[in-house]
Amino acid sequence: MSDGAASAAASSAPLLELRGISKSFPGVKALDDVSFAIHPGEVHMLLGENGAGKSSLMKILCGAYTADAGEFYYKGENVTLSSTAEAQALGIAVIFQEFSLVPFLDIAQNIFLGREPKGRIPGTIDRRRILADAKRVLDGIGFDIDPKVVVDTLGVAQQQMVEIAKAISQNARILVMDEPTAALSDREVELLFALIARLKADGVAIVYISHRMAEVFAIGDRITVLRDGRRIDQVRPAEVTPDQLVRMMVGRNVDMTYPRRFAEQPGELVLQVKGLSAATGISDIDIEVRQGEIVGLCGLVGSGRTEVARAIFGADPVTTGEIIFDGKPITGEPDVAARRGIALIPESRKSEGLALLRSVGDNLVVAALKKLFPSRLYDPRGAQRTAEGLIRQLRIATPSARQMVGLLSGGNQQKVVIGKWLAAGARLFIFDEPTRGIDIGAKSEIFALIDRLVAEGAAALMISSEQIEICHVCDRAYVMRDGRIAGHLARSELTEENIVRLGMHHE
Amino acid sequence: MSDLAIAAPLRAVQRLPGVAVVLVLLIALFGAIAPGFLSAANLSNVLVQSTILTMLALPMTLIIMTEGIDLSMGAVLTLTSLCVAIVSLATKSMLLGLGAAVLVGTAFGLANGLLVAIAKIPPFVATLATLGMAQGLSLIVSDGQSVVGIPHSVRDVYSAQLLGIPVPILMGVASYGLFHALLYHTRFGTYVFALGGNRDALRYAGLSPTRLLIAVYAIGGLMAGVAGLLMTARMNSGHPTAGLGMEFDAIAAVAVGGTSFERGNGWLLGTLLGVLAVGVLRNGLNLISLPSSVQVASVGVLVIAAMFLDGLRSRA
Repeated sequence: MSDGAASAAASSAPLLELRGISKSFPGVKALDDVSFAIHPGEVHMLLGENGAGKSSLMKILCGAYTADAGEFYYKGENVTLSSTAEAQALGIAVIFQEFSLVPFLDIAQNIFLGREPKGRIPGTIDRRRILADAKRVLDGIGFDIDPKVVVDTLGVAQQQMVEIAKAISQNARILVMDEPTAALSDREVELLFALIARLKADGVAIVYISHRMAEVFAIGDRITVLRDGRRIDQVRPAEVTPDQLVRMMVGRNVDMTYPRRFAEQPGELVLQVKGLSAATGISDIDIEVRQGEIVGLCGLVGSGRTEVARAIFGADPVTTGEIIFDGKPITGEPDVAARRGIALIPESRKSEGLALLRSVGDNLVVAALKKLFPSRLYDPRGAQRTAEGLIRQLRIATPSARQMVGLLSGGNQQKVVIGKWLAAGARLFIFDEPTRGIDIGAKSEIFALIDRLVAEGAAALMISSEQIEICHVCDRAYVMRDGRIAGHLARSELTEENIVRLGMHHE
Repeated sequence: MSDLAIAAPLRAVQRLPGVAVVLVLLIALFGAIAPGFLSAANLSNVLVQSTILTMLALPMTLIIMTEGIDLSMGAVLTLTSLCVAIVSLATKSMLLGLGAAVLVGTAFGLANGLLVAIAKIPPFVATLATLGMAQGLSLIVSDGQSVVGIPHSVRDVYSAQLLGIPVPILMGVASYGLFHALLYHTRFGTYVFALGGNRDALRYAGLSPTRLLIAVYAIGGLMAGVAGLLMTARMNSGHPTAGLGMEFDAIAAVAVGGTSFERGNGWLLGTLLGVLAVGVLRNGLNLISLPSSVQVASVGVLVIAAMFLDGLRSRA
């Protein structure tokens, strides 16, 4: 019956239609002429790689961003959508991955936050009514729980149910869910899907962002694929295969002019990770990196790439497994790893990699102080000589070694971080998203620099969400999924399609 | 069966919050070693002496729940206490003194709120600055001297009784009742939980965290104003260092009471028990003739003891 209702509804007029939506941020076109129709009683899957424009589209739907161009039609009528209030008035509710719940309030208080039923005395809350209303909403979505339970004591799945209850209580007719199953167990996923079926039957329209191929086919009624902020295609699940979808998602046009000399004959084993697991959610990781190699570590955001880097560097405690560096096992804290010659160049270089208010020179020598000054006496002139040498070697664009690092461009800041570890004599460089926030021209320079590092005998492990960069730069790559290594790609197999296929869920 | 009979109360004790255990242990300790501690007169005295701290610790709980702090409370208390003394001396009216104190206190609270919520100065720094200002103003208005000769109507507030219960105790109980109702039964109180727990939730709901935050700090100043009346009444004079260190006791009471400094996890009854623990500790040490320097140090130890007990339980 619900099938019939759904398909009947599906053929009906769209509830909300977006036409030609564009949105730019300095330096990027996040959305480019995207059109998108949401039908009542339908689950519309939104598919795309990291950075394809899904989040921007979602933020426009909930009124957090205002589109630069484009029109919105609600039930055929032209409307504006430029504030959260307008979005709410249209019945649009977004369930973000970070919940909008208050931990130490109960379920009822959370559902009706800001809309509490008034008690007899001004300013007070009608406690009996708020509990009864909450119970009714919870019953309506089939969530059997006492509304007096404090949210902090709930698990992720239950919090998500509360979030959905909150949206439904605001008469949401369009529910936007951002990877709702990312933190759920199989059983919880089943419950969520049952709820989605129920909402569909009630005529609610659902926009569902997912990275899991199985879900796309299990619950999707329509699929829109985004790439580089553009709508690539809109299809029905019955009309496509998973492979076709993957092909639509990849193939981004990025100007990569940088030529790399790939390591024909990799040198000695520098890093060997065997059966590594950590409490941060990674398990059974095996990785090898040799001298002269740039090895990619890819996978979706949240698949455990950064956690692997942190575990190797000693920043998170390892539960089982072994890390062998230069033939000898390595255990302990980051300072041990740094002393042995491992450099971690973190994604957030501003907060983790640099002292922004200090000079370029200070930042360049800070990791090498022991090596430069074994007598433990700081020699300003020696430090300056080293710093100036590095500035020349790395072609850091700075007026002098005394310039404050925070004033340099993103690419030059990144060079300072690399230079810092170069001075310290690092032999293994672990890069976490080395080109994030760096403009195209500087990207090539960073890659040239990494290439020179490995050509001179170092080794590099590079985490990147930009598949195309991995394909252009790396000798080979590991692909992660759900905290595990999902596969290894040799140079000849290293294509965007293969990376996406390994990184996505097919089960 | 006997095992169960023993185990059940033990488990109940284990479930008790650290502050309750600490309070019971302190009462038992001083009951044993301090002569006259358990006398009705002394216990009533503990309650009366705890009133001022109650009035500061209650709003401090709300402020800390918003992941903030108010270091100026003690200095503002000094200033409002002087306001009561000076204005009541000049006008012979206790109520005008109270009015002036509430006005000045609320002004400081508002200033704290504006600095934190609008100027976005970290609460620690913002209220440290206003602490300095309040302290300086106190020295200016008092010329560094005690203000004496204030009307009897002020002093009577501290010594009067209603239905055989000292008025300060009644004021303390009323304050607790009001704050309990405010935090747990009003929309405002609900939003205080959200200020520390998830400010985005407030924004999504179309509420202004800024205005709410200012209100929370303003309430702190207002209560410091009311407490100023009791302070002056208690000392029968205005003194330029009257409130010195009171913010320390207030923050300690909140911490001992189990309110967390993050995520908006506050517990008002815990704060009340924390105030009583601080009061019992100071009174008991006084009875066994230990100087106030030792008392201050002991309050520090008390904070650590309560944290330790709570930590033990959460790990168990």
